[in-house]
Amino acid sequence: MTLAIKASLQRGDFTLKIDIDLPLGGVTMLFGRSGCGKTTLLRITAGLEKVRDAEVRFGDQIWQKGRCFVPLHRRRIGLVFQEQSLLPHLSARGNLLYGYQRTPESLRRLHLDEVTDMLGIGNLLSRPIDQLSGGERQRVSIGRALLTSPQLLLLDEPLSALDTQSKREIMPFLSRLAKASGIPVVVVTHAPDEVERLADRVVFMRDGRITAVEPLREALARPDSPLFADEGAVCVLEGSVLPVRDDGLARFGNERIQFLIQSDRALRGTPTRLRIHANDVAIARHPVEAISVMNQLPVTIERIDTFRPGRVLVTGKLLDGQMLTAEITEHSRRKLRLDIGQPVHALIKSVALLD
Amino acid sequence: MLELSPADWQAIDVTLRLCLYTTLILLVIATPIAWWLSNGRSAARVAVQAIVALPLVLPPTVLGFYMLIVLGPRGVVGGSLESLGLHHLAFSFEGILIASVLYSMPFAVQPLTEAFGNLGRRPAEVASSLGAGLIDRFVTVILPLTKGGFVVAATLTFAHTLGEFGVILMLGGSIPGETKVLSVLIYDYAEAMNYEAAHRLSLMLLVFAFFILFVVYSLTRRIEVAKV
Amino acid sequence: MKYRHSVLLACALLFATSAHADQFTIAAASDLRFALDDIIEVYRKDHPEHEFEVIYGSSGKMTTQIMNGAPYDIFFSADISFPEKLKSEGFTATDPAVYAIGRIVIWSNTLDASTLTLQDLPADPRIRRIAIAQPAHAPYGMRAQEAMQATGVWEMVQPKLVFGENIAHTAQMVESGAADVGIIALSLAKFPAMEKHPHHLIDAKLHNPLTQGYIVTKRGGEKAPVMNFARYMKTDAAHEIMEQYGFVMPK
Repeated sequence: MTLAIKASLQRGDFTLKIDIDLPLGGVTMLFGRSGCGKTTLLRITAGLEKVRDAEVRFGDQIWQKGRCFVPLHRRRIGLVFQEQSLLPHLSARGNLLYGYQRTPESLRRLHLDEVTDMLGIGNLLSRPIDQLSGGERQRVSIGRALLTSPQLLLLDEPLSALDTQSKREIMPFLSRLAKASGIPVVVVTHAPDEVERLADRVVFMRDGRITAVEPLREALARPDSPLFADEGAVCVLEGSVLPVRDDGLARFGNERIQFLIQSDRALRGTPTRLRIHANDVAIARHPVEAISVMNQLPVTIERIDTFRPGRVLVTGKLLDGQMLTAEITEHSRRKLRLDIGQPVHALIKSVALLD
Repeated sequence: MLELSPADWQAIDVTLRLCLYTTLILLVIATPIAWWLSNGRSAARVAVQAIVALPLVLPPTVLGFYMLIVLGPRGVVGGSLESLGLHHLAFSFEGILIASVLYSMPFAVQPLTEAFGNLGRRPAEVASSLGAGLIDRFVTVILPLTKGGFVVAATLTFAHTLGEFGVILMLGGSIPGETKVLSVLIYDYAEAMNYEAAHRLSLMLLVFAFFILFVVYSLTRRIEVAKV
Repeated sequence: MKYRHSVLLACALLFATSAHADQFTIAAASDLRFALDDIIEVYRKDHPEHEFEVIYGSSGKMTTQIMNGAPYDIFFSADISFPEKLKSEGFTATDPAVYAIGRIVIWSNTLDASTLTLQDLPADPRIRRIAIAQPAHAPYGMRAQEAMQATGVWEMVQPKLVFGENIAHTAQMVESGAADVGIIALSLAKFPAMEKHPHHLIDAKLHNPLTQGYIVTKRGGEKAPVMNFARYMKTDAAHEIMEQYGFVMPK
């Protein structure tokens, strides 16, 4: 399934120029700073922004071309907006069913019970929406969009208006969304941690243009990744939370690699992601004993890139093939005589479970 | 004191019909105009906004004069009607109805524009993304969320039409039962120095107008309170 | 409400401009609109020192305005009953005096009115709207009603009637073509721009005479130029102009 968009737009100082065939599947994240045009791109896709001479195709459906313009209500797109956008005159149930009732029976693939279970909102149904928390409202919004059994889900900064607690509450639902529903999801965001948590593929935008489209792994593998611009280099590891052992510690990983994590609220067994700041990783030639760092893993150096003046990024392959990045000084690198292909030990000071 | 003559009743009937039809027609016409106006600030919108607001500043005689010219037998509208074998619209209920619709337009458009502006585009976009078409969106989302604006628009239009005088005097021809509205009848009574009859109707109109405005202001207050 | 406002404003302006004793204001019935304008033009040549202005309106309205303090110095009514009423209520400096007798005509902008009579009005299919002045307060409207009643067509023309606020407004309704015919003052039908359309003079026996009277108001009585103008209206020069416009002069 591809989403093809051709559009150019000049509005004051802002220029948008897009010509892209975007393969869809799983979660595609549209990443860029505010004002780069990512929301405009989303609105063009949805048909909310009618740009002259634009072309929008989804699979073999033509949504916009020349005189042809399919209005949003016939595109079968699920939309979730940044701010709370529940219809205030309806209850949570009324909101959820608004789209469901307008979806022809033959097209309904998702039903109220499944969706409320998936999003954990079964107990909110009868509440007036002003009695819902921010996170609950956003989950109802997502559920409402899902209940139209859309062929594409567009989420415009769905988390940015939420506090940390609400974000944490809603993240797991978002990350399961694409897989559980089978619907391709496009999420607009300016937050790297959301990309790292949710993305399968990243579309980078800057000044009204698309600069790169790449899988998350590649997006994290280059030192100049826009994702690193503010918070420095990170790497993301896939795995799941493992059962607690006799020592009472929780672990994350798989059969080959394991990280000790401090988490009492981790959802056991569900696939999730671990984010590690390159700054929190040190390299040692040999295993180090008598050290407070709890996680030491053997890696083989894959590449070494200059990152900032005097600092390098050392990327090493873990035993299961995933990559781990360490940010060290040029000086340390010379002292340890680090080189590609070398087996070393990564000392990880802290990890964050992305949930 | 409220012993109304048959002429009074006739004028009340004409006036109420005029107010009611004007209000109904204007709600239908003003809604799309207001929606479009609330959608931004392009030059075309500002121009339309200014045109809609013209009756607020123009003397009613200007509108009455042009309406007489346009709707009369030699005017664009009246003349076309005549050539189709129909009657021109000067001195007819339909004529003053058209004039009233134009004359009271700002009183319907402005509250609705404001209501739509406050509502924003989001609810309509949401409804659209949920598969609701234009009419569906309007009935199930826009209308319930802006009903206060519609009540204010309807009441103000009704009340303003009630107070219409100059336009109707010029275009209507004071035909009893057809174009002789209360304000014109009161004027005739006063001119004929029939002060008792003029008082009777004026007082009634005064009380009625106060009542309507009271309702509007208490409603707008309640809507504002509800918003907070 | 807006109307009342403009009246107030007009009054305020009048007060402001009539501060000088030499300045005065004439209030005149609207059937005099053209005749009086011509007379005034001549009068101004003879008396360039006199500053005055003239306001036309319906006699009923002006009577009400005078009773409510309007700053008019002399009032030419279309009917003597209004000056008499003002006299009886003590608003006048002179007795009501007749200055002319008016006539009414059938006039049309689209039809040849000279071929029309009152009897034709109900049945002629070309006549859909007949304009007359509001009989309740405009003397010319009252006389039109009387004439039609005397002819026995009053009931039959009811569906066709439209009413002007005063006789000039009535003439304008017909002039614009919005009304097919009108019963208006002969003095208006004689105005050059309107005279190109023929009229039918209605027999004066069919209605009470349009005895047009004037009075000088209390405030006008103190002004010499006002009395002077009142005297001028009785001169042959003024009578000649009035007669040109179809007024009959009192003996």
